[in-house]
Order: sequence, then structure tokens, then C-alpha cells
Amino acid sequence: MNNRTRTLAILNYETYDRIPLVHFGYWHATKDKWAAEGHITPEQAQGHADGNAIDVEMNRLLGWDFCWKCAFSWNNRLEPMFERRILEERPDGSRLIMNEDGVSVIEKTGVFSIPTEVDHLLKGRQEWESIYKHRLKFTLGRIQRGWAKVDGQDRQFDQGGRELLLKQDGSHPYGLYCGGLIGVIRDWLGLVNMSYLIVDDEPLFDEMAETVSELIFQGVKSVLETGIHFDFAHFWEDVCYKAGPLVNPRMFAAKFGPKYRRITGLLKSYGVEFVSLDCDGKIDSLLPIWLENGVNIMFPIEVGTWQASIQPWREKYGRALRGVGGMNKHIFGFDYAAIDTEIERLRPLVALGGYIPCPDHRLPIDARWENVQYYCECMRKVFG
Amino acid sequence: MEPILQEIYQGILDGQHREVEAKVQAALQAGLNPKSILDEGMIAAMAEVGQLFESGEFYVPEMLVSARAMQTGLAVLKPHLKEANIQSAGKVAIGTVKGDLHDIGKNLVIMMLEGAGFEILDLGADVAPEKFVAAIQSGGVDILALSALLTTTMPNMKATIDALKEAGVREHIKVMIGGAPITEDYARQIGADGTAPDASRAVALAKSFLTASRC
Repeated sequence: MNNRTRTLAILNYETYDRIPLVHFGYWHATKDKWAAEGHITPEQAQGHADGNAIDVEMNRLLGWDFCWKCAFSWNNRLEPMFERRILEERPDGSRLIMNEDGVSVIEKTGVFSIPTEVDHLLKGRQEWESIYKHRLKFTLGRIQRGWAKVDGQDRQFDQGGRELLLKQDGSHPYGLYCGGLIGVIRDWLGLVNMSYLIVDDEPLFDEMAETVSELIFQGVKSVLETGIHFDFAHFWEDVCYKAGPLVNPRMFAAKFGPKYRRITGLLKSYGVEFVSLDCDGKIDSLLPIWLENGVNIMFPIEVGTWQASIQPWREKYGRALRGVGGMNKHIFGFDYAAIDTEIERLRPLVALGGYIPCPDHRLPIDARWENVQYYCECMRKVFG
Repeated sequence: MEPILQEIYQGILDGQHREVEAKVQAALQAGLNPKSILDEGMIAAMAEVGQLFESGEFYVPEMLVSARAMQTGLAVLKPHLKEANIQSAGKVAIGTVKGDLHDIGKNLVIMMLEGAGFEILDLGADVAPEKFVAAIQSGGVDILALSALLTTTMPNMKATIDALKEAGVREHIKVMIGGAPITEDYARQIGADGTAPDASRAVALAKSFLTASRC
């Protein structure tokens, strides 16, 4: 079996030879630390991206098989994006930056965290209509100017990428990235302003949601119409935190459930049976909404302080629900004994079927290179 | 309860900030006691918001719009409370610890604490231990609230508590901590007085500190 066929066998509850060793990439600071320690070169640290040639080389060095986020991406964000620029250099070494989404954030060298959001260009209908809406129209250029991660290399889709995609080599399951329906709106507005908008101007929020989901639908449709086969589709939302969802599940079900259903229905009509979704935090109250609307792989199952696991979800929702993730990434900052304990914790979860362990987010700066190698080595022995 | 206080209460629950602003003005013009407006109309409504959040009826967005309505009404009421020399429920200095720029959780806690009648000293994000110490030394602070998003920045909570001890001000205040990686075990381990999993329960924790210290 190759990584693609063993992954599909697990997701289909069929027999397989071994568990593929799947990861979720690394924070930049982690790669920089590993470069400073001599494990990789600074050029590798700078040039690494999920699924590119450097990622494949790092997989070889560490023992991974592939990155779950190694999927065909197309341009489903703002087009054109806003120009990233420094608005202010501050005396404390921090910088006020307007990012590609039109959000002013504070960033600081050496501070590894989500940046502080200071302001958002998108405030209401006026900005939506004058500077955002037209950036969300679907054109074929979004597909042609997308990029493909094939054979471990970034490939421009309009430079032979289509042909390359057809030469899929089995090194990983073939994923199609679909973007997010509400996560991007949250990015543009900020959580607080999005919450206010739903109360103050619900029709505008609905229009934003409709515009984003139509863009995703048209983009996915256009990619699928090329005839390229995909094994799974992958969404991103990130709308939960440690205590639950950042949105009201009733609102989410009413407004976004049908939008998910329409896109996953389209995917299914092209033979894409598996749909994974990346959402950190405690997702329990949104999970049934996704599952009812065609999302059947939860990723990355952030263990967190709330001890998330595939097990209670499987008991509640049955085998329709699969999972990729659920391995506590913080263990990589501890020792071999902690890794052994974590692998033992994963053993009964793997036995459930339909589940592939993967670190529950990008590896943080305290992850030790030799611990990652040890984990991969042990996982091969235990689940080989 | 006076009908207009009931309307303020309901306006906060519904997140109708403009309506709350108008009703608070109307209540003041009608000669109602500012403290009654605050306690019966506004703080009581936010307490109900907290209950609804904890029971799973309300979620973060509802909490945010209610907090905005509370803050809008409070802006109208504040000069009258000051005039009548009405004290806040307590003063909380709050910030995200050094090395961490994340502030969404901190801001949610601020909104809910203000909704419960606390005075807030927001020290911002990426706050060094000495800045927290200086805030305590400036006086009047009852509670210090520390936030961290990452496991790599949470050790700076301990560094801050150690700095408070070194400066001899730790015993003057209660310390509460919160954020994605924080557990009760960790709070105990570093010598904090408590932690809460969300903004609503952070209010309950802050209230419990002050109730205990005033007994």
C-alpha cells in the first residue's frame, strides 16, 4: 500500500498495512529554532511550506509520511488582497501593520502569538460594497493563479499544474482545499464586530455569507470540472475556543448548514466522499452541524485542556464520523516517556478505525527535533 | 421593578444598545436613582446574561452584544454615579502576559467585568511583569487578571506572580489567570488564586474574591 491507499483504507474502515504518519506542519519559530540547532538549514526553514519539496525532505529527516494540509489550493481569498504594509514602527519594537485582509494588527519580532487586532477596514455596508465585495467575485483566474502541491513541489496551476495533478503518485491522499465560509468573515471584521453586525445588520451579514459561499461553490465546481480526481476536500473555519463555539450554533446551523450541504453535495456528485474540516478549540456543539451537512472528518481534534478525543464523538455519532488529529503536540516539548504515554493513549483510538493520529496543531517552538523523530519511530513500531 | 428599569434590563438582554442608551437617559430624566438603574436594570441584566451563557442558551456573540448595550448605557450613567459618589464593585488590573499579543479573551473578560460593575485598568497585551507590579503599586487594585494564549507564554504568568512577591505586593491583591492552555492545576501550581474557563465564570470568580475578602 502507499500513503494514499492506506489512508483511504482507514477512512473506509477497511484493512490496512500500517497507520500513515501524518503531521500538521510547524510554526515558523519552530523551524527557525531547528535551523539554529543545525537540524535543517536556514534556507529550508525559510522555504518550507506544507507539501513542498522542503516539507518532503523534512518528512524524510523526521520520519513523517505527509502533511494533512498538503492539498490543491486555489485562490479563494480576497482578489486582489490588500497590500501588506507597515503603518507605524513603535518605540517598543512592535509594528502596526495592515495585513492582506485589511486588518490592522500589532506584530512584534520574537513574539509568537496571534497578533493583536487594532482596526478593521470592513466596518459596515459602505466598506463592504466599495472595497470588499468586488474582491470576492469568481473568475477562472482564481483557479489558474492558484497553486498545486504535487510531488512535494509548489506548482502553478497555469504552468502545467493540471497535467502534474493528473500524475498523482500516491505519496499522499489528494486533497482539494475549499477555504472557509465564516472564518474569513470573522477575519475581516473581527469577532466582536461580526457579533455586532449579526444583530445590527443581519441582511448585510447574510449577504457576506452568501457571497463567500458562492465564491467557494463556483471555485470548487470549476476545479472539479477539470476532471482531476480528489480523495478529500478540506475546509478551514477556526470558530471555537477552549469553552466552545465563538458563534451561536443555532445561527451557524441556520445560515451556514445549507451552504455546507450545497458544497459537499457538489463534491459528492464528483465522487469526493471525504470532507475534512480544520477547526481548533472545543468543537462539540458545531460538530453535529458539520456532520449533518456533509463534513465527515474532524481535524485536528485539538486535545487542549478539555481533552478532546475521537472516542466520545464516535460513541455519539457512529462510524459516519472520522478523525485526523488528536495527538497532543505539547508532548514534543517533554521527554521520551511522555511520548510513550501519549502513544499508548492513542492505541485504543486507532483501534476504533476511521481515525489517523496527527499532532493537534502546527508544532510549537518548544517541540524538540529528537522527540519528533522518536515519536515517528515509535509510531511505526506500534502501528506498523 | 419600575417599568423603565425592566425595559433597560430587557434591552441589555436583547443587545439593543441604542435603546438602552435612550432608556437610561429617560430613567435619569424621570428622576430614578442612578444606583437603582445600575443595579436593577443593568448589572442584574448582565448577571442574567452570565446565567444564560452558562446554561448554553447564550453564546459569545450574545454576550458581546449585551456587554455593548451595558457599556453604552453605562457611558450615560457614569457621570451621575460619580456625582452620587457610588463606588464600583472593585478594581481589576488586567493584561496579556509578556510575549503574548493575543487579546480577544482578555477583552471579553473586560466587557463582562464592566458589566458586573467592576472598574477596569486595561494594561494591554505583551505586558512585562514590572508593568503589572507598577499597576498594583499605584494603588486601588483589588484583583490582577492575567491572560495567555500559548503554552510557551504561560510561564510568564508565574514570572509575574514571582515579581509581585518580590515587590512585596502579592498579598495585597487576588490574582486570577485565564487562557486556552490554563487549568486549575496550573493556577494552583504557580500560586494564582484561581482561574475561570470563560468570561462569564471570570466574573463569578472575581465576585467571589471580593465577597471573601469583605467577610
